[in-house]
Amino acid sequence: MEFPAATSFAGFTTLLQKECMRFIRVAGQTLISPLISVSLYLLIFGINLADKIANQNGVNYLQFIIPGLVALALLNNAFQNASSSIIISKFHGDLQDLKVVPLTPSQIVWAYAFAGTIRGFLVGISVACIGEIFYVVQYGELLVVQNWLQLCWFLIAGGVTFSLLGLSVALFANNFDQVSAVGTFVILPLIYLGGVFFSIANMHPFWKMISYANPLLYLINGIRYSFLGVSDIDPSRAFLLTLFFVAGAYLLARRMVQVGSYTRF
Amino acid sequence: MESPLLIDDINKSFDQVEVLKSLRFELKTGEIFGLLGPNGAGKTTLISILTSLLAPSSGTAAIFGNDILTQSLQARKKVGVVPQEIVSHGFFTVNQVLNFHSGYYGLRKNQERIDYLLEKLALAEHQNKLVAQLSGGMKRRLLIAKALVHSPPLLLLDEPTAGVDVELRHSLWRFVRELHKDGMTILLTTHYLDEAEELCDRIGVLSKGELIALDETKKLIHDLTHRQVILTLTQPLESKPALPEMQVNKNIVKVNIAHQETVGELIKKLAIPLEWIQDVSITEGSLEDAFVSLLKQHTR
Ligand SMILES: Nc1ncnc2c1ncn2[C@@H]1O[C@H](COP(=O)(O)OP(=O)(O)OP(=O)(O)O)[C@@H](O)[C@H]1O
Ligand SMILES: [Mg+2]
Repeated sequence: MEFPAATSFAGFTTLLQKECMRFIRVAGQTLISPLISVSLYLLIFGINLADKIANQNGVNYLQFIIPGLVALALLNNAFQNASSSIIISKFHGDLQDLKVVPLTPSQIVWAYAFAGTIRGFLVGISVACIGEIFYVVQYGELLVVQNWLQLCWFLIAGGVTFSLLGLSVALFANNFDQVSAVGTFVILPLIYLGGVFFSIANMHPFWKMISYANPLLYLINGIRYSFLGVSDIDPSRAFLLTLFFVAGAYLLARRMVQVGSYTRF
Repeated sequence: MESPLLIDDINKSFDQVEVLKSLRFELKTGEIFGLLGPNGAGKTTLISILTSLLAPSSGTAAIFGNDILTQSLQARKKVGVVPQEIVSHGFFTVNQVLNFHSGYYGLRKNQERIDYLLEKLALAEHQNKLVAQLSGGMKRRLLIAKALVHSPPLLLLDEPTAGVDVELRHSLWRFVRELHKDGMTILLTTHYLDEAEELCDRIGVLSKGELIALDETKKLIHDLTHRQVILTLTQPLESKPALPEMQVNKNIVKVNIAHQETVGELIKKLAIPLEWIQDVSITEGSLEDAFVSLLKQHTR
C-alpha cells in the first residue's frame, strides 16, 4: 500500500482553519456578545460620565477609552479562544488527536496563536467601529489613527501573546475551573489594571511602580499610542518589551504543547 | 522489508506500579495480530505508547523502521489508531471531521477516499450530521474512518467492536479482512475471543503487563486445548471410568484427548463394546478454551 506524500504546511493550515471555523460556528458567543459590554462601557463612561472624568494623557475620556477597549477586547478574546477551544476538546476527548497526527509542536502553537489573534482582531475591529460611531455622534468627526504600522504590531503582538497564554493555561489545566480561575484572578485584573480605563500618570508613585511590572500596561499603552499619539510609556520601550512577551509566551506554549495534559476531563 | 511494528523492550510504570514489563515482539507485514488479555492487562497502555499519547518509561518501538521517540512524525504518518474510548467533536459534521483529520496528515483534497470510507462504514447518509447527533455505534465507525483517512499501512484497533450490534460486527469483520487483503497490517485488541479466532493470524496474550504467549492462532489453540469426544451410549455405563479425566453421566461419556490421538484408539482404551455406541461427537478446542487455560496456568 502506497502512502501518499504529505506536506506538513497543510497540517498547520488545516488546524488553523478548524480553529477559525469553530469560533465562527458559535459567533453569537465569540464575536457578538463581547460587543455588548463594550457598547455599555462606551455609553456609560465615554458619553454619560465623560465630562466628570478628568482628561487622561491630555485627551478627552471618550478618546482615551476607545483604544483601551479595543485592547481589552483583543486580549480577552484571544485568550478565550485558545483556552475554551482546548478545554472543550478535552471535554469531548478529541484533543488527543493532536498527539496522534503528524503535527509538530510549533505547528500546533502557531495554529492556535493565529486563530486566537484572528478572533481578537475581528472583535477588536468591531469595537473600534462602535467606538467610532460613538465618537462621530459626539464630536461630529472620526477618531483618526495616528500610526497604522505601530497599531498593527501591537495588535498582533497582543493577540499572539494572549492566545499563547490561553493555550498554555488550558493545556496545563485539569478541569474547567482552573482555566476560569486563571482568567478571573490573573488575566482580568491585569487587563483592567493595565490602563484600559485610566492613565497610570494619575496614580500614587507606589501603585505606579507596581503597574510597571504589569506586562499588559505596555500592550495597552502601545495600542493607545498608535491610535492617539499619547501614552504613559515610551513607545520604543513598549515595542521591545512586547517583542519579549511574544517570545516568552511562545516558549511557554511550546513547552506546554509538549508536556501538557491532553487527557479527557 | 522493515517490520510494520517492532516493540523493543518497552516498560511502563504509573506511580511505581509496573503496567508493561519488558515487552518485545514484532508484527509481520500484512498480518492481523490479536493482542488479547484481561481487563487492565496493559493493551491500551501499549497502544497509547505506540501512538505518542504516552511516553514509555524505558524502551522504544519502531513503525516501519521509524523510531516512535526519535522519528515520531514519520512514525505517526504510517499508523492509524482507533481508540478504545469513544470521542466526540462538538462543533463539526462527520464529513468535516474527516476532512480536518485528513488535512492534519497533509491531505487536504482527499474527498474521494473520505467518500469511500463513509460508504464502507455505512456513514454516508449521516455525513452531514453533527458528531454529537450520532449514536454510539456510529461514533465508533467514525473513529474507524478517521484512523483510515490517510491509508496507513499499519492500523491499531483497540476494541473496535465493543458496543457494536451483531450485524455491524460482522460487516466490520468483512471490512477488516478487506483491508488485510489490500496489504494493511493490523493489530487488534478485543474481548470477543470468537472474533480474534475468526480474524487473527497470530495472537499475543498479555497478562499483567507481560506477554505470556505469542503464536499462530491455530497453533495456540492446538497446544493449549484438547479435543473433547462425547459418546452417547445405548445404555448407562456402570463400570468404573477407565481413564482418569473421563466424565460419565449415565449414558453420556465425555473424554478429552490430545489432538494427535484417534477416536478409535480411545474407544479401544475405554473398552466399551462398539454396538453400545449410538453417537459420537467431537468438539475442537476454541481460542476461548486456550485463553482460559493459559491464564489459569499463568496465575497459578
Ligand atoms: N493514566 C493512568 N494512570 C495510572 N494508571 C493507569 C493509567 N492508565 C492505565 N493505568 C493502569 O494501567 C493498567 C493497564 O491499563 P490498560 O488500560 O492498558 O488495560 P487494558 O489491557 O487496555 O484493559 P481493558 O481490557 O480493560 O481495556 C491498569 O491497571 C490501569 O489501572
Ligand atoms: Mg483497553
